[in-house]
Amino acid sequence: MMGETVKIRVDDRELEVQRGTLLIEACRAAGIEVPSFCYYPGLSLQAACRMCLVEIEKAPKLQTACTVPVTEGMIVRSNTEQVTQARRSMLEFLLGNHPLDCPVCDKGGECELQDMVFRYGASESRYGEAKRHVEEQQWSPVVYFDAPRCILCYRCVRVCDEGMGVGALSVVNRGVHTEIAPNHGDHLECEECGMCIDICPVGALTSGAYRYKARPWEMQYTSTICTHCGDGCKTTLSVRNNKILRGNNRDRSGINGEFLCIKGRYAYDFVEHPSRLRQPLIRRGRELVETTWEEAIGTVAAKWSEILARRNKAANNTLAETSEKRSEGFGVIGSNHTTNEENYLLQKFARTVLQTNHVDHHRTADYAALIHALANESAEQPSQAQRPPLARSKDIVGASAILLVGNNPTEQHPLIAWNIREACRLNGARLYIIHSRRIPLLRQSHRFLPLGLGHEADALRHLCGEPEATQALLGETPSGDNVTADLLNDFRNRLQEEKDVIVVFGDEITGPDVSLLIRMGSRLSGQTRYIALGDYSNSRGASDMGLLPHLLPGYRPVGDAAARAFFEDRWKSPIPATVGLSVDDMVAATLQGGMDALYVVGANPLKGRNPEDFCGKTFLVVQDLFLQETAQAADVVLPAASAYEKSGTVTNTCGELQRLRKAVGVLGTRTDLQIFASLAAAMGATLHPSQPEEALEEIRQMVPEYNIPLANVLAGGAEAVLNPNGFKPLAAPAETSGRVYSAQDTLFTSGTLGRFSNILNLVPERNIRKEPGPA
Amino acid sequence: MASILGGIVETVAALASGFKVTFRQMFRPTVTENYPDEAPNFQNRFRGLHVLQRDEAGLEKCVACFLCSAACPSNCIYIEAADNTAEQQISAGERYASVYNIDYNRCIFCGYCVEACPTDAITHGHEFELASYNVTDLIYRKERLLAQKTTTDQTAAGDPALSMPSGRNQSAS
Repeated sequence: MMGETVKIRVDDRELEVQRGTLLIEACRAAGIEVPSFCYYPGLSLQAACRMCLVEIEKAPKLQTACTVPVTEGMIVRSNTEQVTQARRSMLEFLLGNHPLDCPVCDKGGECELQDMVFRYGASESRYGEAKRHVEEQQWSPVVYFDAPRCILCYRCVRVCDEGMGVGALSVVNRGVHTEIAPNHGDHLECEECGMCIDICPVGALTSGAYRYKARPWEMQYTSTICTHCGDGCKTTLSVRNNKILRGNNRDRSGINGEFLCIKGRYAYDFVEHPSRLRQPLIRRGRELVETTWEEAIGTVAAKWSEILARRNKAANNTLAETSEKRSEGFGVIGSNHTTNEENYLLQKFARTVLQTNHVDHHRTADYAALIHALANESAEQPSQAQRPPLARSKDIVGASAILLVGNNPTEQHPLIAWNIREACRLNGARLYIIHSRRIPLLRQSHRFLPLGLGHEADALRHLCGEPEATQALLGETPSGDNVTADLLNDFRNRLQEEKDVIVVFGDEITGPDVSLLIRMGSRLSGQTRYIALGDYSNSRGASDMGLLPHLLPGYRPVGDAAARAFFEDRWKSPIPATVGLSVDDMVAATLQGGMDALYVVGANPLKGRNPEDFCGKTFLVVQDLFLQETAQAADVVLPAASAYEKSGTVTNTCGELQRLRKAVGVLGTRTDLQIFASLAAAMGATLHPSQPEEALEEIRQMVPEYNIPLANVLAGGAEAVLNPNGFKPLAAPAETSGRVYSAQDTLFTSGTLGRFSNILNLVPERNIRKEPGPA
Repeated sequence: MASILGGIVETVAALASGFKVTFRQMFRPTVTENYPDEAPNFQNRFRGLHVLQRDEAGLEKCVACFLCSAACPSNCIYIEAADNTAEQQISAGERYASVYNIDYNRCIFCGYCVEACPTDAITHGHEFELASYNVTDLIYRKERLLAQKTTTDQTAAGDPALSMPSGRNQSAS
C-alpha cells in the first residue's frame, strides 16, 4: 500500500519517494552513495558517526541524512567539496585513536572502516600523538572486545537491546574515554547470540570461535540451513581446508535476514568432534568394534533378508502363527534432522522393502492434527481467505496481533522470538500470551493470561466462550499471578477486536486441542493464521514425508485404500494397510522382545535409559553421527553425514522449504541417502531414486503440497509448501497415536548434537538456563 | 713469391687479432665462478629461498596476517594463526603463525610475498639449491624457513650468515 509521495532533488536527480522516508534510505534506494556507520535499518536512529552528512538547501549546516525525513521540494547535494571534506575529516577523527593493526585484526578485509577510509578518507594522517591503548578483553567464550578499535557507532548496544531484547551492552564514561561495557563488569551474561560481533562495523567485537582462524578472502562460503532448531535459519558457513570456521549471514539473504542465535552462528563444531563416528561398528560379543562398510552393510542386509523371509513364510503358513510368539517384525525410527529426500526414502524403504508401517519419529509438534483441522475447517467454511492459513516466519513481522500459546520462543525458537520483537517494535503489533510461566517475551506483551500447568486448552475454551472453562482458570497460578474474571474477559475482548491474528503455539496444544484452537481462531474477526512450533531442523519435513505410523506422505491415511493404491502404483510394491506402532510402542515392544529388528536413523529413542537393557533384545541398527545411548545398544552402527555434509531440502516449522548445500566432508561417513541405497541394493531390492534431486522430483509428484516453484529454493531462498487451503478434506480424522512432545531444548542445548558442540558446552549461561519449559 | 709473403703477413695479422682478445682478457679480473667447487656470489637482491626473520628481541616478526598468501600468484603459502599467550610469546603482535608452509613445487620466486609483508617478516635469502627427488620434501615448514635465533649484538653487526637457516654463503637482502 503506497502512501503519499513527495518529490525531492538529490544531486540534480529528481526522486519520488514516500513521505516520511529517511533521506539516507531515499538516496540509497536511488543508488546515490551516502556512507554511514551508525545508521542501521531496523534499529533506532543514533546520528553518532556523522558520516552521512549531506548539504540540504536552506539548511545552514550539513545535515545527517539518517535522521532527516524527506519533505516536498527538498534539494540535497551529496557530492560537493564541503561534503567530501566533512567525510574525510570524520574519518580522520575516527582514525585518531583507531590502531593500524589491520594485519592482525580479524575484521581486516571485510571492515567497513577500512572500506570507508579507502573510499572517502585522506591518504595520510596528520596526527602525530600517541594513540590511546587499552588491553583487549574477553567478555565470554565467544565475545572479545578491543576498545581502541571501537568507533562508538552503538550498533551493538542497540541490536542487543532492541533486536535481542537482552540489553547486555551499554555505554560507559564520557568523551574520549567512552567505551562499550558488558552487563557484568568484566564479562557478559546474555544469550551469546553473537549479533553484536556480526553487526560491528570494525574489529572491536570479535568472535572467540573464529579468532585468528583465517582471513575473509581465502575462505569458501557455503550457504546452507542451520541444523539445530525448527526455525530453519539460513547460515553461511565459511570453509577453509574442509573445515568450517564460522557461520553468519551477512548478506541478509534467507528468511532470517542477518539473525542467527548461538547455535546457528557457532554450533557447527560438532562436525569435527573427536567422538564423531568415522567407521561402521559391529557387535562382537559385548563389544562394538570397528569394521568396514562392506561388512556392516552385508551383515545388516543378510539379517534383514533372513527376517523378511521368515516372516513371509509365517504369513503363508498361518497355523504357525498361533504356536509362535507374535512378533512385530521391523520397526523404523526416523530423524528430524535428515532431509526431506532422506525421510521420504526411509519411509518408502520401510513400507516397500521391509513391509512395515512401524515408521515414526520423535514428533515435536502436531503438524498432522493442524493440517487436518485446517483442511476440515476450510471445507466447512469455503473460505473467502486470500492468504494461506499457515503463516510464514516473516509474516509475524507484518501481523497486527500475535497470540502465543505455550512454548518459549526466546529459548526454543530464537528466530520466531526475534520476529515477534521486531513486529512489536517496528509495527506496533500487540502480543497476547497464554502461558503457565513468566517467559522473557512478556516484556513485549500487550496482554498476558497466566494459567496453571496444562490449562492451555481451558484458556482456549474460555476464548471460545465456554463459562465452565473460565471457572477452571480463576484463582492463583503456580507462577504467582492472580487470575480474575476481569482479566479473563479483558483478554478475550481485546483479542476479539483484533483483525489479523497469527497464532503461535507449542507442544502444549496437540491432538483434539488443535481443533479447539482452530475453532477459537475462526471466531476472531479477520483471517487467523497459524504457526505450530516444532523442534529440530526438519520435524515438519519428517511429518510431511510420512515418517508416521498412520500417515503416508502428504498426510494421506494408511488405512485409505485409494491413498495406498496411489503410492503402490508408483512404488510398484504393496504397502501394509494396518496402522503401525509409535516410537514409544516400538521401544516398549523391543524391551519385551517383540521386535525382530529395529532400524534407528538419526534419533535417540533410548535417551535417558540404560542401553544395557536393550542389548540383544532385537537386531538393532543405528545410523547416527555419535555413539549415543541407542547406538551403544546397537548390533551395527553406521556413521552418517550431518546436515552440513550433504545436499537436499528441509522444511522448517512454518513450512518453508529450503535447500541444504554441502559445506564439508567427513572421511568415513556416508549420507543417509547413500546408506539407504546400499542397504536396499545389498538386500537385492531396488530403491529409487538415489540422488537428492531425483528424490525431490518424486516427492513433488507424489506430495502435491511440495509441487511448488523451485526457482527461489534453488537460488538459496525459501518457498512455503502449499497449505491445506482448498485441499479437499480428509475423510478419516487423523488418528493420534503416539506422543507429541517438545525436546525442551534451551538456547544452549540441541539434543544429541548439542552434547557434542564444544561452544555450547563452554558458555556459562548454559548452567543458568537449564529448562525452557516447565520443570 | 709475393703471394707467399702476403700469406705469412695475413696469417700473422690473423693470429695477432685473435690473440688480441686472449691477451686483453688475460689481464682482466675473472668473472667465471667455479660453481659448484666454489660458492656462487649473489647480488643482494637475488630472490632465493625465503627466510622468516626475527626482530631484535629474537621474536618472530610474522604476525600471520595472511597477506603473503593472498599476494601469492601460485598459491603456495599456507598459514595457520594462533594466539600469543603470556606463557608463550612467539611474536611481538597478538598473534603468530603456528603453521607456515611454502610449497616450493609451486613457488615462482616472484617476490610478491616479500612486498606484501607489512612487518618485513618474510624475505628472500640466497639459498637456491632446492632440487629434490621427493616432492614432499619441497614443502618447507616454518622450522626450515625461520632465521636462527641470535643474540641482539650479533644481528646488529655480526655475521649475516648466522641469521640464515642453513648457512652457506648468503647474506640477507
